[in-house]
Amino acid sequence: MARRVSVFAALLVALALATVASLALGAVKVPFSDVIDILLGKGPGGPEQQIVEALRLPRTVEAMVVGAALGIAGAILQGALGNPLASPDVIGVTGGAGFGAILIIILFPGSIALLPVGALFFGLLAATLVFLFAWSGRNRGSVGKVILAGIAMLSLFTAGTTGLLAAYPERAPSAIFFIAGGLTSSGWEELQTIWPYFAVGFIFALLLIRPLDRLALGDDVAASLGSRPQLIRLAAGIAAALLAAASAAIAGLLGFLGLVVPHVVRMAGGSSSHTFVVPASAIGGAALLAGADTLARTLRAPIEMPVGPFMVILGVPLFLWLLRKAV
Amino acid sequence: MAAAPNTELLLDAKGVEVKIGDTEILTGADLALGQGELVAVVGPNGAGKSTLVRAVAGLQSMSGGTVCWSGRSINGIRGREFSRLRAFVPQRMPVPAGVTVEEAVTIGRSSHLKMLGRMTRADREAVVAAIERAGVSRFTGRALTTLSGGEMQRVQIAIALAQDAPVLIADEPTSQLDLGATIGVAGLLRGLVADGLTVLLVVHDLALALAVADTVVVVSEGKTVATGTPSEVLTPERLSSVWGADARLTEHEGRTALHVAWLDATPA
Repeated sequence: MARRVSVFAALLVALALATVASLALGAVKVPFSDVIDILLGKGPGGPEQQIVEALRLPRTVEAMVVGAALGIAGAILQGALGNPLASPDVIGVTGGAGFGAILIIILFPGSIALLPVGALFFGLLAATLVFLFAWSGRNRGSVGKVILAGIAMLSLFTAGTTGLLAAYPERAPSAIFFIAGGLTSSGWEELQTIWPYFAVGFIFALLLIRPLDRLALGDDVAASLGSRPQLIRLAAGIAAALLAAASAAIAGLLGFLGLVVPHVVRMAGGSSSHTFVVPASAIGGAALLAGADTLARTLRAPIEMPVGPFMVILGVPLFLWLLRKAV
Repeated sequence: MAAAPNTELLLDAKGVEVKIGDTEILTGADLALGQGELVAVVGPNGAGKSTLVRAVAGLQSMSGGTVCWSGRSINGIRGREFSRLRAFVPQRMPVPAGVTVEEAVTIGRSSHLKMLGRMTRADREAVVAAIERAGVSRFTGRALTTLSGGEMQRVQIAIALAQDAPVLIADEPTSQLDLGATIGVAGLLRGLVADGLTVLLVVHDLALALAVADTVVVVSEGKTVATGTPSEVLTPERLSSVWGADARLTEHEGRTALHVAWLDATPA
């Protein structure tokens, strides 16, 4: 218990540091004290306040929301499918979202504003197809069926994406940023369109914490306690699909975060109780993405690099170190 | 088709049929539970024992027959309500990493909590009581992954006890345990009946069934073929007709034994 509390504390400190750094650092450096003042509404005014409020604050919030969403999506999928390899990839969302975005980038480059909608639509479409196939016929809703249907759908949409890129190689470079995954300083507009999907996903996830703990003791114990295992898995899949598709709409393909953050949290906290893993993955994911995004846009400022690769570089050593110590 | 349910029984199942795919697993099984009884379902491998108790527990959908809990049809009982009627102990539950005994038993209490509601004092007391009753207080802080088979079975029973249902259903609770652990679990289950619980078991070991059960239900090829006290039902003729064994059960001063002609048995 004490260990979990200290993990929570460490994650919150990391999130606070990442947030302040994300607001303060960039092409123009704003002193930490000014950042705090601006957040408290006592800012000095002027262009620095403009930069923090209009550009960095929305970007930081996006990083936190997307990071939390992907962390939660991974945590509830791994719990629902009882599979450590589960991530938004395995329910087809990532593949679908990637296809939707590349479709807009390549076929409708004039309507690039539609990119988030395209990613969201195709991400959810892919997940819906996965659920339809996995929940039909015999043995419906079984873990094996969900994962196999998901992998099939992932392959299908990835093939579509690759096909588009191969057919229009001259337009491929503009798609790379989306595939690598990254945030932009585009104000509040994207969040204003996408937030309801995040909201529904977060609420679902909250309601799923206890049912997922039951499911960890097996379908029979969950059923004995009055839950319906297949329904829990379906609800977790829908919540994860909403969170991952909304994340892809804003930040491209950051699948790694959803896979790894819940594992890091479990290993660090020594617990796989969802009461701990779900909120801790949310905070951890938010801190990781906010921190990595800050690095990605400051290391070679004013050039911004996509955050995906940076996050992997930050996350993998920590993950491997914890993995070595895990039983 | 089936007779009117007997409302004095906690559980009255008649003509239960279960099909999995195109395979008929049960073709007409009956099962009744009276208050405060220990009922053991016995039968050869593949006879449908587990399927029968899973069906009456609401864990397996049926293709025919009627199941009534205190006179109410199983079709009208919703999940959470069902959790107050019976607790089910699976043969072997998955053992999640990073979950302690206490956490697992606490999860067993979760059917009493409102959505997003917190544990009340009564809930915490129920968890402690379940832990003590199942005899697992010594290792509440240990991870499930570190437990022996016997310890794990007791923890599974503790999880079911935390659910606070009047009927406990266990699918072969001793099939993977050594002699000492089996004796411990058998004593625990009999003790629960003495406390006022009603217990339904699937049992493989006939000598154990003879020792612990008030009523034995023999299932063979998807049907109930006999119901009664162990000594009435588990006769040498039945051991021969159902199991194809030349065997008899004996009881002497609380000790039971199954005597088998292991090598020269000629199946009936």
